[in-house]
Amino acid sequence: MTDAAAPAGAAGPPPAAAFATLDRGTATCAAALVGRVDRRWRLVAAAAVPAGADPAALVELLVERARDLDPDLAAEMGLDARSAAPPRIEATGSPAPHAAVLAATDATRRLLEADAAAAGWRTSGASAQRDDALAMLRRATRPGVAMLLVGTGDPPSAEERDLLGEIVALAAGAAERRPDLPVVLVGAAAGRASDFPLATDVVTVPRPHGDPSADLRAILAARRAGPGDPRQALVVAAATLAGVLDLRVELLEVGMSGALRVRAEPAGAPGEAARVAAREVPSALLGLADEAAVDRVEGWTTLPIDRARLRDRLAELRLAPWAEGGGDGPLLRAAALRASVERLVEATDAELGGPAPDLVVLAGGAWSSIPAPAALLVLADAVRRPGVVQVALDAARLLGPLGTIEDAVERTAVLRDLVPDALVPLGTLAVARGVRGGRQAGHLRVVGGDATVEVELAGGRLALVDLPPGQAGAATLAFRGTADLGARGRRFAAPATGGLAGLVVDLRGDPLHLPDRPDERRGLLGRWEAALWPEHDR
Amino acid sequence: MTGLALVPARRLLVERPVVRIALEPGDRVVTTAGAFVVAGDLLAERVRDPRLEEVEERDVRAVPAQPGSWVAAEHGRRGSVAAGEVLFSHGGRRRVATGPHLDLVTAPAAGRVTAVRPGAAIELELDGVGIPGSALLGDPGHGRLVLLPGDGEGRLPLDVAHAGAIVVFSGRADAETLTRARAMGIAGAVVPSLAERDRRDVEASEARQRAGIHRLAAFPVLVVEGYLRRALAGPLRDLLAALAGSPVGLVADPPLLVHGGPATALPRPAPDRVRIRTGPEAGGDGRFLALAGPRRLTAGVATEAARVRLDDGREVVVPLGDLERFA
Repeated sequence: MTDAAAPAGAAGPPPAAAFATLDRGTATCAAALVGRVDRRWRLVAAAAVPAGADPAALVELLVERARDLDPDLAAEMGLDARSAAPPRIEATGSPAPHAAVLAATDATRRLLEADAAAAGWRTSGASAQRDDALAMLRRATRPGVAMLLVGTGDPPSAEERDLLGEIVALAAGAAERRPDLPVVLVGAAAGRASDFPLATDVVTVPRPHGDPSADLRAILAARRAGPGDPRQALVVAAATLAGVLDLRVELLEVGMSGALRVRAEPAGAPGEAARVAAREVPSALLGLADEAAVDRVEGWTTLPIDRARLRDRLAELRLAPWAEGGGDGPLLRAAALRASVERLVEATDAELGGPAPDLVVLAGGAWSSIPAPAALLVLADAVRRPGVVQVALDAARLLGPLGTIEDAVERTAVLRDLVPDALVPLGTLAVARGVRGGRQAGHLRVVGGDATVEVELAGGRLALVDLPPGQAGAATLAFRGTADLGARGRRFAAPATGGLAGLVVDLRGDPLHLPDRPDERRGLLGRWEAALWPEHDR
Repeated sequence: MTGLALVPARRLLVERPVVRIALEPGDRVVTTAGAFVVAGDLLAERVRDPRLEEVEERDVRAVPAQPGSWVAAEHGRRGSVAAGEVLFSHGGRRRVATGPHLDLVTAPAAGRVTAVRPGAAIELELDGVGIPGSALLGDPGHGRLVLLPGDGEGRLPLDVAHAGAIVVFSGRADAETLTRARAMGIAGAVVPSLAERDRRDVEASEARQRAGIHRLAAFPVLVVEGYLRRALAGPLRDLLAALAGSPVGLVADPPLLVHGGPATALPRPAPDRVRIRTGPEAGGDGRFLALAGPRRLTAGVATEAARVRLDDGREVVVPLGDLERFA
């Protein structure tokens, strides 16, 4: 909190009846106004503006809107014209910093780069095995490098022991040139801290993966993220959410500085903390990360533009990520989002894969840059995982700021109140694997309220059932052959919760087979997109 | 509140900018922290194709030598080592970066050297003001500023009379035009935007020119906007017009056009002046009137918008993300 008056109240001044949250990302700044109504925290107003805008003015705008809509309620929440601005909770993001990785062998370089990337660092690495000393030093002293990571395996190989002295001497030479550069020494290199200049900030991690108290990723993550880092806060919020909802939660966040995947499960027993695992992937950022990103976006785009133009538009997206909210800008973002999520899932599946969770939460501004139902389709396109999941969108971007509340009890209480407002339900996504295409594959029956909907299922297609937010139903899927819906069988029963996209049954196959010819691929993707995004060709 | 503060602000001028001139291991620094320099003063000698030499420490006299220090050529018992920068020493062997061909690294404008980091960068605090761009292709350079007439096809107005000048293309420029400008002896260019393909061509051409033994001078290209075709913003055009004929420099880190004069002498736009950067009305300049509230755009996305009165008198509603103001 940036103010003494906490949401749940504190000693001294009267407890605040309203507070504002700010999620300051690298592309947009989202603010929400939260007020206490009928003894519950409720979302009163929310808006997002480009990142360069004044956040205080944004909060002021929300307060003004609250006053205009219901002056009495605003006064009750302490938001009348005479009151001071409400206290704020902020999560502030920053571009992923750059670490130079120096290792004796290429195998160790790859491991260290993976650890640094998982902690949110962009990396460029060199090894004595592959590069000469000049190239390694150049890499370490390049402008923009914010940390030097030097290491060996644990334990070091014979080759690493031979090269260790040279690597450390080289890194010390780099530190001599850049006294401001912190150095992290890993493995056997940790014993050579005395070789560095006295003014250098040296951190030693002798056993990077064998000592929980000196876990390399945790140390690197702590050095990257300042207080109020939105990605660290989202990990905390996802764990809290899993506990509050008693559901297995997966959170996917994509932004201009990288992407985050979190898996959280409720505690096994009362009094225990929720289990949470997370990984950041800086290379899965939205837009132009590298040439491979252009290939991926080109594979997903529904825009008829050539590669050179696509590259320019993605590069432009990096310069002004908030621009072009209309026209074909959202189509470009949807393609870039698919590419980013696909890359995020590929990079994290070994650690965070597994059966489908109960709830997938889409967080971050990128998901709000396309219509909500289209966000569910992007998820279905990029995460080909059999199972039935509920999907929700953190539309007001409350989770990041709420994750910065240090007191777990207070955070849980606020989040419990705000969940119905914070998470916009997109619907239920059922992805089936092993269903043959081009024929009658089965039957779907959804019973919700007084109505019953029957749909014939065809392989290779999407089936949509309009199930509005707030409505819950029971879905029965009966297939002619054996299908995989998280478990193998012919007949499945699953709860279906409504949302802006309704119930989506995806029988398009896993992996998704797309035509090689660009025009045919764009046409197919466009038809799927049109089903959930009717405004997309206007 | 008018809501103007919610429009993303773009910095038009930076006073007394601090810039970094990148160095590579092996480059010889010939200036010191605290030194005052003017445009064209020598800052360092750059080794064009540095190579690594190893020498036994017991064979050379200059011991100990700290990493980053410069050692003179020496002839030891087992051979000789050329002059160069000490990278590091280990196991009784010293690694030195050296090379036969030296290029000159000069100051792009007048100012003071604030820090010297051998093999990494020289930091300068420049006098006057800087106009930020989004990227600089090539090495820093300097010259007098010339605004080319026309809407920017760039082909017609180029003239050998502009040799030594930094020319401003107010409209379209491509790699071919820029290569031709360089061949005419023009010292640098300022372009509104440049596509990635053209950037690669310009950089490849620059690398080829500089690899020759009789290399040409640096040809910096400052890209003011981005990658997609766009005209210079009105307030920026006014600024550059005011600087026409004056000596200016182009620097890379951060990308800036620098000028030694005071900021007060330069035209500044009214605070409510906005430019439509993207969208259907892209390129339009006008006055910010008020916030228009959340609007649903054609693609189905809802976003905050503002009312703007364009210079042609029309009043339009524009998403905040498509607007920019100048601070």
